[in-house]
Amino acid sequence: MNTDRAREVLFDALGQLAPEVDPAEIDPTAVLRDAADLDSVDFLELVAQLSEAIGVDIREDDYPQLDTIDSAVAFLAARG
Amino acid sequence: MRAAIANLMARSNAEIPHYYVTQTMDLGPALAWLRAHNADLPARQRLIPSVLFLRATVLAALEVPDLNGHWVDGARRTAQRVDLGVAVATRGGGLVTPAIPDAGGLKVDDLMARLADLVSRARRGNLKQAEMAGASITVSALGENGPDALYGVIFPPQVALVGVGGIVERPWAVDGMLTVRPTVTIALAADHRASDGRTASAFLAVFAHALEHPEEL
Repeated sequence: MNTDRAREVLFDALGQLAPEVDPAEIDPTAVLRDAADLDSVDFLELVAQLSEAIGVDIREDDYPQLDTIDSAVAFLAARG
Repeated sequence: MRAAIANLMARSNAEIPHYYVTQTMDLGPALAWLRAHNADLPARQRLIPSVLFLRATVLAALEVPDLNGHWVDGARRTAQRVDLGVAVATRGGGLVTPAIPDAGGLKVDDLMARLADLVSRARRGNLKQAEMAGASITVSALGENGPDALYGVIFPPQVALVGVGGIVERPWAVDGMLTVRPTVTIALAADHRASDGRTASAFLAVFAHALEHPEEL
């Protein structure tokens, strides 16, 4: 998928998990888990939702790719 | 919500003579087991380290029941089962401590499902009143990237609280050799009216043993 679509997928998932946070306001190079206040249960749900959205299972080894919005968008665009 | 927490915690600190015992534990075996377990599973079936800490707490509470219960009318009332309280930070601030009732028989997969459901609802403020009360022991953790250790305040009338620190790589001696291991520091807060340090030490020993043998969890 292209970068715009990847960002949309990510922002949709974040919108459900962290409704009080506007993903567009998050520094795209900041640590996403902290910036969006995601605990480990939230993060697992984020991985599940993103996996479903791109139709590819995101493995634990891939978690570092989801560190920031920028890295996550690049990862989703490449895989999805 | 802040006012309710303030009242409860002030009461706890005023009434409960807390004492603490801590132990830093090697998480190498537990995390290796977790990685292997999760490798071929879809995200929603994976386990997170927190659930191992919950299971270890349950096993320790079953083995050392003096720390599983309540202080009522000047006496300890040991609980007949483990109703496992889990401290959850809610979105927008505040803390709730819902319980997983009768968690004694739940293996890690079932415990994970219960935890995920409880946490996701607690974070959004969607808990039922009945779920908010009645824990016999509570676990509090500030996350895998959290601070080294958490010295918690017991939720009255409970008699113990398990504070779980972050997962930290530390130098670690094994058979006289220095190596680096992922570790966690567990700080057990206990009510000195209801138990003493020997009891708390026994609790931590069971907890550590559980983490060393994750395949048995």
